[in-house]
Amino acid sequence: MKTGIFSVRLGEKAHRVTITAGGEARVDDGAPLLVSAEGEHTVIVREGDKTRRVVVSAAGERRQVFVDGEIYDVTVGAEIAGRRRAGRADSDHLAAPMPARVTAVLVEAGQHVRKGDVLIKLEAMKMELAVRAPRDGAVKRVACRVGELVQPGVGLLDLE
Amino acid sequence: MIRRLLVANRGEIAVRVIRACRELGVETVAVYSEADRGALHARLADIAVPIGPAPAIDSYLRVERLIDAASTSRADAVHPGYGFLAENAGFAQACEDAGLIFVGPPAPVIATMGSKIESRARALEAGLPIVPGEAPEAQDDAALCAAAERVGFPLLVKASAGGGGKGMRVAHARKDLAEAFAAARHEATGAFGDATLYLERLLRKPSHVEVQVFGDAHGNVFHLFERDCSTQRRHQKVIEESPAPWLSDALRRRMSEAAVALARHIGYRNAGTIEFLVEGRGDDAHFYFLEMNTRLQVEHPITEAVAGVDLVHAQLRVASGEPLPWRQASLAQRGHAIECRIYAEDPSTDFLPQAGPLTVYLEPQGPGIRVDSGVVEGDEVSIYYDPLLAKLVASAETREMARERMLAALRRFVVLGIKTNIPFLIRVLEHPRFVEAAIDTSFLDREGHGLCEQSAGPGLEAALAAAAAHDGRPAARAAESPAVADPWDRLQGWRSGRN
Repeated sequence: MKTGIFSVRLGEKAHRVTITAGGEARVDDGAPLLVSAEGEHTVIVREGDKTRRVVVSAAGERRQVFVDGEIYDVTVGAEIAGRRRAGRADSDHLAAPMPARVTAVLVEAGQHVRKGDVLIKLEAMKMELAVRAPRDGAVKRVACRVGELVQPGVGLLDLE
Repeated sequence: MIRRLLVANRGEIAVRVIRACRELGVETVAVYSEADRGALHARLADIAVPIGPAPAIDSYLRVERLIDAASTSRADAVHPGYGFLAENAGFAQACEDAGLIFVGPPAPVIATMGSKIESRARALEAGLPIVPGEAPEAQDDAALCAAAERVGFPLLVKASAGGGGKGMRVAHARKDLAEAFAAARHEATGAFGDATLYLERLLRKPSHVEVQVFGDAHGNVFHLFERDCSTQRRHQKVIEESPAPWLSDALRRRMSEAAVALARHIGYRNAGTIEFLVEGRGDDAHFYFLEMNTRLQVEHPITEAVAGVDLVHAQLRVASGEPLPWRQASLAQRGHAIECRIYAEDPSTDFLPQAGPLTVYLEPQGPGIRVDSGVVEGDEVSIYYDPLLAKLVASAETREMARERMLAALRRFVVLGIKTNIPFLIRVLEHPRFVEAAIDTSFLDREGHGLCEQSAGPGLEAALAAAAAHDGRPAARAAESPAVADPWDRLQGWRSGRN
């Protein structure tokens, strides 16, 4: 199950979904929900007394979701990926743009970096991708390891 | 009993027939096109024979290939299912000529009832009311007007050579005729090259009610009551139910007896359905013969549910020369059953047929729930055939309980990877007109558009949270371990010990 802050787009509208390590989720500013994974497709979502079994089929960024006879087609991405929100300095949380494998982590927490420095190397579709620092700053947290398979939108590294 | 049966069909009906054969100790032969390699029906049969490329015209409709397949697999009988060659008299005759038992009526009966003109003539002879109509020899306006007076208004001016709604015009009164004739002739000439017109009374908001009949080779003819199939979209049935909820006992009896009279008159054998249009309700209701289908129908499970019979077993018994094991007086309808056809279609794009992988496919189960399907999770749905994935049948003591049971089942019928009409079916079943049992054949075409669009429902927030929480791994293909629970379904090429 994933944790972090996500942008889930349904049609024209993008919703912000936050999920903590404890399985607490919030959609936009809604009531807290508890989420847990069951098997490969099912996510149990609890709100107060109500439990829903939600079935998810994934393909890349797209998710097709079934809940109580309703079906939704959504895309899930990083909440603050630079290319999605023009005009905002979305440089605090860096994420992979596509499913990829981490081949090198070149920095550690506390280290100061300059804009353009290569922080993490990824491999996807036989290409090497470099995740570069979008600005000067200090590495707050490295959230991935060499060899790990990462999904788009999942945080790799946070800058202060 | 037949020893080895070749099922000349695919998908859910082939699976249905194969399972019935297994119950009766009959060996099975499946045929499959290239697109159906690995399909459920081919895996379930004792023997599977390839019959050609994906398009039906090159495979499932190839009479000589099917006869060859029966010959090489040493089958002694053929079941045509529905659609494809099921009502093709030539195919029935070819089977007979090849020494194969055809599970259905004799070829000449198929031919007679397959002709609009012939079948209406037989119905009249048997004393049935038919939809008033005339195909006048003289086609000048004066003669057509005189015919129109006899047929009655409102009426449809139709192209004799036509179909698909082309070359049809409505005339509400005598003053509309001249223009209707001109317009229909013009369109008919353009579409079919034939301006011959036929006049048929336009029934007011008719219901479609059909009666199941069955004959054997010992002179017995039975009816197994009626089904209401009025929930149709562009003449394609979507939801069927039995009994017809608003039908009076008197009308039910008259229609059932009329159906038996016709079946007897034409020497009918095996399963068949006589379709009627019913206009009006209560004491003002009138029924009219529309046509006969000389085969097992898609919606046969709802008759099985309320009458407590197995129609495919009965088909095999009749084909084997046995008498039908029923007495008309002891056949009865009990409770209520509703069937929903699950189609791989997207309601929001005018029901465009869908193709793609069934990444998740989980059928509902429970008391009073039956699912007949030809697919399992992981299958690839193609565009070559009818987009029917499965039939979901809910039965219960009352109509309202069956409706609620159906809704609950649809809400847990998970199909992902391609779009289906499940969300649309839910909205139809919740519609006040359906709840009141006030559906006529034009209801969906009139009001269906409002039921096609997906609006955000109460589960939206949970859906968004789950979409974000899911780890994003695509579903593993389940081809090796089908979602079907029956372990017997995983055995392949297993023989029962006979040669």
